[in-house]
Amino acid sequence: MRASPNDLAFLRRLRPLAARELRLTILAGAMGGAMVVLQAWWVAGLLDRALVGREPLEALILPFAILLGIVTLRAVAAFAADRFGFAAAMRVVPALRRALLGKLGRVGPSGAAALPPGEIVSALSDGVRAVEPFFSRYLPATAQAAMLPVGILLVVAPLDWLSALVFLVTAPLIPLFMVLIGKGAEALNQRQWLRLQRMSGHFLDALQGLATIKAFGAGARMVAEIGATAERYRHDTMAVLRIAFLSSLTLEFFSTVAIAIIAVLIGFRLLWGELDYRTGLFILLLAPEFYGPLRTMGTAYHARMEALGAASRLVALDALPEPVVAGGTLRPEFGRGVAIRFEDVHLTYPDGRMALQGVSFAIAPGEAVAFAGPSGAGKSSIQALLLGFVGPTSGRILVDGHPLETLDPAHWRRHLGFMPQRPKLFATSVRGNIAPGEVDPDDGAILRAAERASVAGVIAGLPQGLDTAIGNGGRQLSGGQASRIALARLFYRDAPLVLLDEPTAHLDDDSEALIHAAIAGLKGRRTLLVNAHRPTSLALADRIIRVENGRIAVEEAEPAEAAGPC
Amino acid sequence: MLTLRRIGPLLRPVAGWIALAIGLGALAMLANIALLALSGWFITAMAMAGLAGVSMNYFTPGATIRGLAMTRTAGRYAERVVGHEATLRVVATLRPWLFERLLPLAPAALADLRDGDLLTRLRGDVDRLELVVLRVVAPIAVAGIVLAVGLGWLAISHAAIAGVVAPLLVLAGLLVPLAAQRYGAGAAARLAERQARLAATLVDHVEGLAELTIYDPQERHVARLLAESDTILGDEMRLANASAFAGAMVGFSAHLALVAAMATAIAGFAAGALTAPQVPMLALFSLALFEAVVPLPLALQSLPAVRASMQRLTAVTEREPPVSEPAAPIAPPASGVLRFERVGLRYPGAEDFALRDIDIALAPGLMLGVAGPSGAGKSSLIALAMRFVPESEGRITFAGTALSAFDGDAWRQRIALLPQDAPLLAATIRANLQLAAPHAGEAELKAACDLAGILPFVQQQPDGLDTFVGAHGTKLSGGEARRIALARALLKPAPILILDEPTEGLEPQAAMALLQRLRSVRAVQAILVISHDEAVLRACDTTLRLVAGRMLAH
Repeated sequence: MRASPNDLAFLRRLRPLAARELRLTILAGAMGGAMVVLQAWWVAGLLDRALVGREPLEALILPFAILLGIVTLRAVAAFAADRFGFAAAMRVVPALRRALLGKLGRVGPSGAAALPPGEIVSALSDGVRAVEPFFSRYLPATAQAAMLPVGILLVVAPLDWLSALVFLVTAPLIPLFMVLIGKGAEALNQRQWLRLQRMSGHFLDALQGLATIKAFGAGARMVAEIGATAERYRHDTMAVLRIAFLSSLTLEFFSTVAIAIIAVLIGFRLLWGELDYRTGLFILLLAPEFYGPLRTMGTAYHARMEALGAASRLVALDALPEPVVAGGTLRPEFGRGVAIRFEDVHLTYPDGRMALQGVSFAIAPGEAVAFAGPSGAGKSSIQALLLGFVGPTSGRILVDGHPLETLDPAHWRRHLGFMPQRPKLFATSVRGNIAPGEVDPDDGAILRAAERASVAGVIAGLPQGLDTAIGNGGRQLSGGQASRIALARLFYRDAPLVLLDEPTAHLDDDSEALIHAAIAGLKGRRTLLVNAHRPTSLALADRIIRVENGRIAVEEAEPAEAAGPC
Repeated sequence: MLTLRRIGPLLRPVAGWIALAIGLGALAMLANIALLALSGWFITAMAMAGLAGVSMNYFTPGATIRGLAMTRTAGRYAERVVGHEATLRVVATLRPWLFERLLPLAPAALADLRDGDLLTRLRGDVDRLELVVLRVVAPIAVAGIVLAVGLGWLAISHAAIAGVVAPLLVLAGLLVPLAAQRYGAGAAARLAERQARLAATLVDHVEGLAELTIYDPQERHVARLLAESDTILGDEMRLANASAFAGAMVGFSAHLALVAAMATAIAGFAAGALTAPQVPMLALFSLALFEAVVPLPLALQSLPAVRASMQRLTAVTEREPPVSEPAAPIAPPASGVLRFERVGLRYPGAEDFALRDIDIALAPGLMLGVAGPSGAGKSSLIALAMRFVPESEGRITFAGTALSAFDGDAWRQRIALLPQDAPLLAATIRANLQLAAPHAGEAELKAACDLAGILPFVQQQPDGLDTFVGAHGTKLSGGEARRIALARALLKPAPILILDEPTEGLEPQAAMALLQRLRSVRAVQAILVISHDEAVLRACDTTLRLVAGRMLAH
């Protein structure tokens, strides 16, 4: 959780997006500052006339009216500064989310696998949101802290050099001490952060694992352990906080003592007649305002820390390497099946993992080929290459004789059908799930695809048919039903090349049989590539290619034997 | 208010700390207010004395000013330390409390907690309640004390000033926050829901990235995400407006109070009721009082959220436990036959039986296979055996005694279970294993790992058994985590072993090897294996097939 210069640079780069709003908020802040000084001057003048000049209230009506005007303007300026600050953040947040989603699209599924999905989601939702206070609070507060104290110093110096000297001496001490103490606390904080994460993780896990804990009769032990963990955490955290709070103690100490000194110094010179009452009171009234912005800085600094914490997650996403997938402009017409040829293909992922080390094979149009081998052998990488999620490090991939990198990627993808290990249902209608990319899907074709995927009966049983919401928040479907919806998606696309990655790995026998029967309908009519573990899946293929350690191990011509009786 | 009162008992153990934090907070704030007021009095008195050419006692006010400055500084620091101490003590009370409440409910009455969404919400609720002292209780109490003392003193000094300041305090401390809250209430409610929906769409997007890349070339899903994200901005803007308005209004009221107090005090001075130094003193005092009001909008704003959190939490903790424990439990025998006799199970509220007419006799030394499609009742069978749910009809006995006669925890000592999704705790591998056997030594742990086929992996880790796993630790593959969970189940010294899909993710040869090792090492244990792998089932002594909650004749 260390705030790296990268994270800060990342936040700074976003600044121009909100340049106009930031200027306006600073302008409103400056106006508010001017009103602060003016109000102090006016109040001092009023009291001078009433107490020293002994003017009656009736004579002071106009000055009081003007004071009301100043007070009102001050409130308006405060409101405007707040509003523009938030408006600045509202410029940055959507633009940032857009940019990161674009980045995610360019990184693609293979590249994104480098981060856990939960981390990407939290970066895009909470992470992007945590950037908000940096723009709405921290940047305006910094500007205010730079302007108002200087302004007050410039006003006070010609009036009373002694008070100005007190300001001048104490003001730089405050940030200095805060930084010194803050640094120490931050170092402790880094460790604390990991502990907090682990404590929360421990608690959350314990909640999630309640059944397991109960099964092992460890309930009472776990209650005690949760209590003990929290106690330990309290003990350690308080040690950190006692030091961390010293930085605000410093600020309070210097500002309060400085105000007290100024009050006493002014008092004596008033007694000795060296200073007039109005000036003395004016400076006394300004003194708290001099330290006020520095104090706001203290709280705004937390906004900065939080934003930096979030930025490190955003930077992690932003720094994901984008796979080099060369694309051309060729848009050939494909027949019913596609011929595929791998020539000495190597693939090394950006993290250095060697996935494929010289893979060569050829698949004829309409052929059904199963890829077998232990997990991690390179089966999924072969599919990722064909899907265009990654590009080969060396070697050639030919489809219908065209090098893959000469094809228009969008055109090529439109001719692919694909089903991953755990197909994803989106939180939308059945129709939207079967035809995700279509603006105007053809219901007839959707129902025919559902029929072939033997999920038409399930859909007919849903309350709103194709309009029924499924996925997260919608109607819950069983794993087998979800897989068949995904299969209908594939049939609807009716692509000449079909790629299946362990299509039945997580299903029971009945669902598996339904899916296999549906897939078998494609045999001979489309080029079919299946990554498979189970003998029953292998039996779908005309031919089995075994992959081991990123190389083709054996080619078996006859799958029936390998499958065994079942 | 009723739900809010429920928080009371949770805070009682730390009541002393909370009271101390509030006292210190009020003291520090009053010191600061007095400091400002006294400074105004002091310089005016000095100026008047200077003008009149008389001397005055400046030692007492000078010393008081210094004393107040110190009190404020030290008080602020002490208040923050004590307030955080109180909060962390609440954390240390609330978490074990919640966990203890949930234990009897798990897992049958907490099935919905498996939904990650709900768990996240529960965690958010706990976090919010833990901050209730710091964010809600302390600011409101401090404001109450400071305003009561301050207004009282104003009333004694010059009642008319208290009369003009009090309405402005009510405006800033109560009316403005309430108005802002009402203005933003709709947006706040919508926002929570819309943010949850955006997060869900994001999950869809990230998890379905591969499918979207292929099937959604025009990036319609991205467009949908951005559209959802944009609708949120409108609500956020409204809330920001409300808070900017509240902030500006509190400041405005404070300065209005200064102006009004000045005018009133000047009139009092002209009438001879007040001395000259009292005028700036009372005016500045009135202004400074608003310091107590500043944190109120936020505190009042959090109140509905706190109440909602408490409601959600009690809705869970006050659920009916699915199994009632016997008043005078019998100690379960050390070994025996676990027998199901025409057992049926119907979940509360369900129309159909999840299981019916189940007859099983699981004797020591027997390896019983259970097969069936998903939803056939395999997990219900486990839940019955573990006594996580009571049987609706028939009888389950162990060594001839009904399970309902045993204490639930004591009975579960007799079964070692590998559930289908066996979560590991965020802890070391050793701690995870010792969940099953707290006092197991190095050799036992290693033997269990060896039997489960995970020992080579453990030995490869730099920290061996002390490798931290789970969230924020070493990432394990699904297979590795499962092997460790299996080792954990094997470690538990119990006469009955229930394994749900123990060979999942293993190559066929490795699966058979595991079963054979199990048979030879655990000859006297009764083993129940749930699997959809026919080879595994063939290796069992007998096989039970479940279809739609009933046993298939075989």
